[in-house]
Amino acid sequence: MARLASWLVEQPSLDRHTLPLLLEVDSNPDPNMSLAQRVLLTWIFTLVFLIMLVLKLDEKIHWNWFLIFLPVWTFDTILLLMIIVKMVGRCKPGFDPHNATQDLKKRIWYLVAMLLKLAFCLTLCARLENLTNIYLSFVFVPLWALMIGAMVELGYNVFHFRRD
Amino acid sequence: MLFSLRELVQWLGFATFELFMHLGAFLIFSVLVALHVDVFTLGLSWWLVFVPLFAADGLSTYFTTIVSIRLYQEGDRRLAVLRLLWVLTVLSLKLVCEVLLCQKLAEQEQARELWFGLIVSPIFILLQLLMIRACRVN
Repeated sequence: MARLASWLVEQPSLDRHTLPLLLEVDSNPDPNMSLAQRVLLTWIFTLVFLIMLVLKLDEKIHWNWFLIFLPVWTFDTILLLMIIVKMVGRCKPGFDPHNATQDLKKRIWYLVAMLLKLAFCLTLCARLENLTNIYLSFVFVPLWALMIGAMVELGYNVFHFRRD
Repeated sequence: MLFSLRELVQWLGFATFELFMHLGAFLIFSVLVALHVDVFTLGLSWWLVFVPLFAADGLSTYFTTIVSIRLYQEGDRRLAVLRLLWVLTVLSLKLVCEVLLCQKLAEQEQARELWFGLIVSPIFILLQLLMIRACRVN
């Protein structure tokens, strides 16, 4: 535990001098949007979704669950479009093939992750609306796959850079 | 996807390992939720289901305390205090939300006056804090 904690001291959030050297996984996912803009986009959709969810759970509104998840669908559609546009951008004549295979693999993983998230939200809504009566475990399967994938990616970043 | 890992680490103020730990805890929590709902015979109480989340919060607090003490000893006092304050604020808000939700689920009849708006209110505060921090990081 103590060794782990001492290693945490060396983590990038703590040392602004080593920060640029570490975790150069995807340094700027979208050069057209600043961090504040991306945060604002996420923040607005999360806030609207949470407000609608709370109102529904407190039985102040009696909307369909698919309608409650509208901010999630909109946000996911925006993200999916962004990923697809990036992937289509590879077909442009001026595309730089440097690290292209690695980049493509990453984009495909992002696309799969988004589809898994959509599948989870859709099955959850269907279950909450009593359209289907499947086990909750089956509803969670896409989420588990997504989370295991995310943990593998995070773990690779944690332990790969540690080894370096 | 929308954020790089580096940006997430900067924005949320947690180290990559801590994010990994919280994600793992949430994965175990979701498995326990599914078991609780699908297998009634298992007799899992809601407090037991929430144990992974509480454990992750506890471990994260422990790591942050040690890291802050080490940073303080190494002379980076401002960073140590700021990091400790930020992480403790986030974790305490998260913990309050988890405890209230757990209480609501465990004692449905007694906790009738505990409405969901109240349970989620720490998350609303956290969202405002995250927005302010994003402007600062940017």
